Amino acid sequence: MPSGYMNKFLFVNLTTGEVKPMEVPEWLRDNFIGGKGFGMKLLYDLVPQYCDPLGPENVLMFMTGPLTGTLAPSMRACVVTKSPLTGTLLDSYFGGSFGHEIKYAGYDGIIITGRASEPVYLWIYNDSVEIRPAKGCWGMGTLEANRAIKEELRDPSIKIAGIGPAGENLVRFALISCEYNRQAGRGGAGAVMGAKNLKAVALKGTRPVYVHDQDAFLKAVEQGYRDLKASPDIQALVDTGTASAVPFANEVGVLPRRNYFDGTFAGANSISDFGQSKHLWLRSDACLGCPVRCSKVGYIRTGRYKGTVSDIVEYESAAMLGSNLEIDDIKAVTYLTHLCDELGLDSMSAGGVLGFAMEAADKGILPQKEVAGQPVRFGNPLAAEKMLEAVAYRRGDLGNLLADGVQRAAAKLGPAAEEFAVHIKGLETPAWGPRGATGIALALMTADRGGCHQRGMPLGEDLGGALWNGRPVDRLALSGKAEIVIHYQNYLAALDTLVKCDFGAFGIQPQTYLELYRTCTGRDLDGEDGLQLLGARIWNLGRQFNLREGLDPGLDTLPKRFFAPLPSGPCKGHRFTAEDVQVMLREYYLLRGWNADGRPGQEVLQELGLDNVKTTNI
Amino acid sequence: MRTVIHCNFDLCTGCSICQMACAQIKTGGTNPRLALLRLEKQGLICRPVLCAQCRNAFCMQVCPSEAICREDDGRVVIREEKCTGCGLCVEACQVDMVFFDSDNKSARKCDLCGGDPACVKYCPTGALEKIKLGGDADA
Repeated sequence: MPSGYMNKFLFVNLTTGEVKPMEVPEWLRDNFIGGKGFGMKLLYDLVPQYCDPLGPENVLMFMTGPLTGTLAPSMRACVVTKSPLTGTLLDSYFGGSFGHEIKYAGYDGIIITGRASEPVYLWIYNDSVEIRPAKGCWGMGTLEANRAIKEELRDPSIKIAGIGPAGENLVRFALISCEYNRQAGRGGAGAVMGAKNLKAVALKGTRPVYVHDQDAFLKAVEQGYRDLKASPDIQALVDTGTASAVPFANEVGVLPRRNYFDGTFAGANSISDFGQSKHLWLRSDACLGCPVRCSKVGYIRTGRYKGTVSDIVEYESAAMLGSNLEIDDIKAVTYLTHLCDELGLDSMSAGGVLGFAMEAADKGILPQKEVAGQPVRFGNPLAAEKMLEAVAYRRGDLGNLLADGVQRAAAKLGPAAEEFAVHIKGLETPAWGPRGATGIALALMTADRGGCHQRGMPLGEDLGGALWNGRPVDRLALSGKAEIVIHYQNYLAALDTLVKCDFGAFGIQPQTYLELYRTCTGRDLDGEDGLQLLGARIWNLGRQFNLREGLDPGLDTLPKRFFAPLPSGPCKGHRFTAEDVQVMLREYYLLRGWNADGRPGQEVLQELGLDNVKTTNI
Repeated sequence: MRTVIHCNFDLCTGCSICQMACAQIKTGGTNPRLALLRLEKQGLICRPVLCAQCRNAFCMQVCPSEAICREDDGRVVIREEKCTGCGLCVEACQVDMVFFDSDNKSARKCDLCGGDPACVKYCPTGALEKIKLGGDADA
């Protein structure tokens, strides 16, 4: 077994109560490395075709990479499952310390299938695994349950990943809250956990993770630190997390306002790092092993939400629960974000869903004009608060309607609602309105888990003046973007096997990641070309999984909203046409080696070794 | 003069890199639980707790086999070859900074990595600082 790995998966069947360690096959490590790679391959092999994501046969996996739990800077882990929101693959990444603890407990991943007959939680202490009743904490918020389980097990050092009421009530965009208050947020992994009657996984591990060549590894770690120090992007994250992206996005005209109707917001500064640092922040906080410390801890000192302990409201939450809902009171946005965390709702999808509901109410399409006495309208934080609670508990017609996400809610409300249903393949889009940035649009259309901002969005090239092959990039060009997007999709998919943090990757250079991997495992990824090949293998396998599960490639497109002209900002008037989308996709499919209908061709599958790869069984 | 690690808890981000580095250097593998220092969460802050290299070291006083001694620079260190693994020093330390290594049946404590502590070297914020104390206290 190479160093960096623990060489074991823990398999748990909640229906039968079976618990067993499984050796990680050598060929799986050779071809898929870890994290996203393991996840995609196991998803393909273990999830029965067309299975109901909320049925017992869906598989919920927590996967680490070879660098997770080591001193390599800014490493994470991921949850992989079939999404109840999109019906396709879901890989959702989380920081904190839970991922590292999986390794310390002696595992490279935890694979959970089946459904417990009553609420349970898993208690894993190295080799000892118990399925324990969760009656006492069922119904609790994520952080409340975290405390309760630690008290029950009488050990505050335990690391926990768990769901809140939203996951229990099968809200399709429920999250998993990972030690501590770090979210596997997107795509509804929390609902999959809830459907398994699994409240939480509690972990304690006392094993060390060994590296192949300690001296060389520590040199690579120090190079990683130097890379981070040298990066102005990282310095911005050290100072202000991602909150400073709010004024940036506003300036370049991609900050969603009013359910993405517009791309600028007059209250941008209030909800950005300016407002947050003034009213909330006290100190920086970091995930385990991360020198970047993008998190900013504080509390709300006065007013209605006084006493709420706050974390940074990072860019996506600030935009989706702030500008997108036309709420410019940073204390309110902070509280709404906190509420999402505690209820176990993905704050991004929640902001998308609430924006959709507010617009539907505005247009007279929503049957419910009020929620708990509050008028459903943009700019009303009290309505937003009450709607989040209604959603998490599936309270009333409105709660139930919205708990299934924008796509399903729009289908119920009728064709008029489809016009402003902002999602891609069922996943509510991130806070980067793509009008005025064609590369971002292409990345969103082709992202493997639906409308996602973490799959190769060329923000720097489209909006930040970064050069591509030594040349500036025209933000409105329709051709030439596929090459950039594919490069980043592959590169990031490869790093997601290790498992990197997106922010760390702004600073840490490809050569450093390669060296960290080499010195940690004693194996080689064959340079930057090797990373591209690995990323492409995983990307194509994911596409194959999605197609197998019935993905219509015709959904590689943008929400209708973005076919209407942008009302303001530097790209005022820009819109996409159906023809624009086709031009970009044709180029993308061609460069991917996919057929014109968006399906990977036999040749590319052979090239990537996906035509005769082995299968994992349990 | 003696060398100690001073904690600026207000700069601590809770990243545990100090513990990971300590474990890596001291055990050859990483796991914060194996470190010779710990982090305590107190309300909104995180406080590193380290061996103070006490001038009045209980661990040294109770050791029946003279395995714990003080170096010239003030570091309180365990001589592994003399340690019988009786565990009295572990019990005696009132801040729980002497640990029992059940694999090797011996006590372990921070020795400041011989004078260049890994925790300080890797701390990204300056929350841990190596400082020299005293000078005329014993004069």
